[in-house]
Amino acid sequence: MRYRLACGAAAVLTATSACAGGTAAAPGTPGGAGADATAPPGYLALADGKLPAGGALTFAVHIDSGAATGLDPQLADVATSWQLMSLVYETLVTVGPDFAPKPALAESWETPDPKTYLFHLRKGVAFSNGREMTADDVVGSLRRLLAAKSVWRGQLGPVEKVVKVDAGTVKVTLARPYTPFLAALANVPAAVLPMKEIEAGSLDPAKQMLGTGPFKVKDHRQDVSWSFVRNEHYWDKGKPAADSLSVTIAPEEAARVAAVQNGSAALASLGNVDSAAMLAGATDVKVATQATTDFYYLMLNSRNPKFADPRVRQAVNMALDRKQIAEVALGGQGRPTGVTPAGLPGACDPATLPSATGGGAAGAKELLAQAGAANLSFTLSIYATEPAPAVAQVIQQNLQQAGVTVKIEQMDEASWAGKVYGKAPATFDSALSWFAGYADPGMVTTWWNPDVAGFNQGFMRADKDLNTLIARAGETPAGPERDKALAEVCAKADTDSQMVPLVTRPATIAYRADAVSPSLYATEGYGNLLRLVADARVKRG
Amino acid sequence: MKMLRSGRARAEIRGGARARGLDPLSLAGLACLLLLVLLALGSLVDAAGDPDAIVGPRLRPPGPGWWLGTDNLGRSVLPRVMEGVGTTLLLSSAAVLVTAALSAGFGVLAGYRGGYLNELIMRVVEVLYSFPAIVLAVLVAAVAGPGQLAALAGIVLVTIPLMTRLVRAAAVAVAGRDYVTAAVISGARLPRVLGRHVLPNVAGTIAVQGTYALSVGISVEGGLSFLGFGVQPPQASLGVLIRQGGTYMMAAPWLIIGPGAVLVLAILSINVFGDGLRDRFEPRETRSLV
Repeated sequence: MRYRLACGAAAVLTATSACAGGTAAAPGTPGGAGADATAPPGYLALADGKLPAGGALTFAVHIDSGAATGLDPQLADVATSWQLMSLVYETLVTVGPDFAPKPALAESWETPDPKTYLFHLRKGVAFSNGREMTADDVVGSLRRLLAAKSVWRGQLGPVEKVVKVDAGTVKVTLARPYTPFLAALANVPAAVLPMKEIEAGSLDPAKQMLGTGPFKVKDHRQDVSWSFVRNEHYWDKGKPAADSLSVTIAPEEAARVAAVQNGSAALASLGNVDSAAMLAGATDVKVATQATTDFYYLMLNSRNPKFADPRVRQAVNMALDRKQIAEVALGGQGRPTGVTPAGLPGACDPATLPSATGGGAAGAKELLAQAGAANLSFTLSIYATEPAPAVAQVIQQNLQQAGVTVKIEQMDEASWAGKVYGKAPATFDSALSWFAGYADPGMVTTWWNPDVAGFNQGFMRADKDLNTLIARAGETPAGPERDKALAEVCAKADTDSQMVPLVTRPATIAYRADAVSPSLYATEGYGNLLRLVADARVKRG
Repeated sequence: MKMLRSGRARAEIRGGARARGLDPLSLAGLACLLLLVLLALGSLVDAAGDPDAIVGPRLRPPGPGWWLGTDNLGRSVLPRVMEGVGTTLLLSSAAVLVTAALSAGFGVLAGYRGGYLNELIMRVVEVLYSFPAIVLAVLVAAVAGPGQLAALAGIVLVTIPLMTRLVRAAAVAVAGRDYVTAAVISGARLPRVLGRHVLPNVAGTIAVQGTYALSVGISVEGGLSFLGFGVQPPQASLGVLIRQGGTYMMAAPWLIIGPGAVLVLAILSINVFGDGLRDRFEPRETRSLV
């Protein structure tokens, strides 16, 4: 299976950061670092609708979509793939700047009871080949996803049935209530595919992209570039504002920075937390930092004898100084988090978790001594893209205080992914990555159940109690009861310490103010900097 | 006339002695090199502090407590530069020793034996020589995985072709000398001929070329670490520091000034010292050997 987290983890390295010394807004709150003063609440920037439509947009990103899974959105398991595929594919619902679900291909929906969702499909939606989207496409897509070996299958929850009610209505029945259902439907793997063509065999979605989204693919050279052009059949008239979008894959941060500086890219995703400071003097270049629900986490391989004893894992967790990681490695732009992403409504307070109240490095030392691991030494495997090496080095310093020796092993992303997700049981000691945090605080907790997640079975053992708590939090309707259930998940996952949440991950985008007027949400949950690119206006002349 | 001849002879002898000593510039190079070695030794005892410790705010310019400023993790740059000098010098020196040993073996064998062995060794060396240095080093690092071993192997592969060719050329010249012929006639076996008569007479070439290989090694290590294939974090090398400094060049120029200056100084002093060694071991009259 294609590792790297179904969750946008590793690969996504899409970017991280913001200006030195700046403070990113908390996820769920309006405004972020570098926000345009004229942007409305919830936005970092809002495209100037008075500018004429047309023109060509250019975007530089550090990594292409995952080649191993091809172009099938249902199998895409990393946020960089989701980001690029979102230009072509759309979902029934999407999320607004406040993370609330809002209509997309479904014009509206009803929930007559907590287990039933009735989606009323938008009229006049067509795929980029001109064929009208039907209820059969929606039903077929969801059924295909439920049957697929897709990691996103685990996020959809206990879906029992998907049926077509009439030409414009689709009914989804759940086996039991599942609060994050709409947020799970809002991600690219749940996109509506052209099922007629797929079933007829005239389209292989792994090789060709055909969706209802604002753009269609003109050309793609793996790990080099994408060329998208306007989908003339797009249902939202007037969008996309730009005629075309060229995406350049530029792995080196310096190349992306230079591209924005010299104008060869109008937009670029950046990974360095000091990007804004470094571009401060650049003429017409603006840098904006989205607060995200994504977070870095430490994997402690419990199938490795070093971390088989939960006390050893707890001690490592206890010795971590999340505040220092956020301040130093992320330049103050991240914030400590538990397994429910900090900033999302209902997320737990990381300061109250057992690891935070366990006595820090001294407590960790004591616990290690009790576990007979006083001289613990292990290797931390990381990929080379910043800020992962910075986070790893702060972790190393933290653990040194508890007498733990950490050797950092840095490698390219493909080698890292192979080492961490490629073998079962996995042979690494520990590894660092990040999860997208999505729009509901319960969604990412699903990955703490390896039986559902799948990708982490090689290094994580299922904890029956934790799984029960996760399922209960998923079933509980939003409100104080759910917050309590999520807090229990948080505490149990913290004690389990097989995957240790660290700090949230900011995402930075640089753009040329003389070349583009973009729209950007202040917050993002699915690692998609291009979420509003159809609104972006090209400035010409 | 006899007196004159004798005076000239003495002058020639004195001139020869001067030629065989190190000129002031070379001595300055040697002094700089020793200074860098001292810096590197200082890092072993954390003379300027722990290079990995977070000691202050991020990206602070030079000041009390961090005389060369702090980096993006709030670490003092001075001990990191000292550690970087040590890492780079040690790595490059070890690689050059390996190169010298291999080149001496292959070069002497090819030069003395000639024939198919010479053809085989020289063709392999020429293939290696045809690759651009950094591409070859990156290839090695990609196969072996990033780390010090890969960097070492990369430097060896990059520096071995030129040294082998020069040693071979010197060995070809030495192989025809009377004392080598005499040794062969007197029944000396191949290892003795090579070890006792050929190798000592190409040692000067190896020493001189070694200094150039050292500077090439430092550059290659810098390049590999710059590309992320060299030493692993948090260990500092000059390449690692320059890579990091390059990223922050506009916002925090002190990050690149220190390691950049040290790298220039290291390469310059090694080259100057190498020039001096060449003048000593290979006086102008005998340079046609190589």
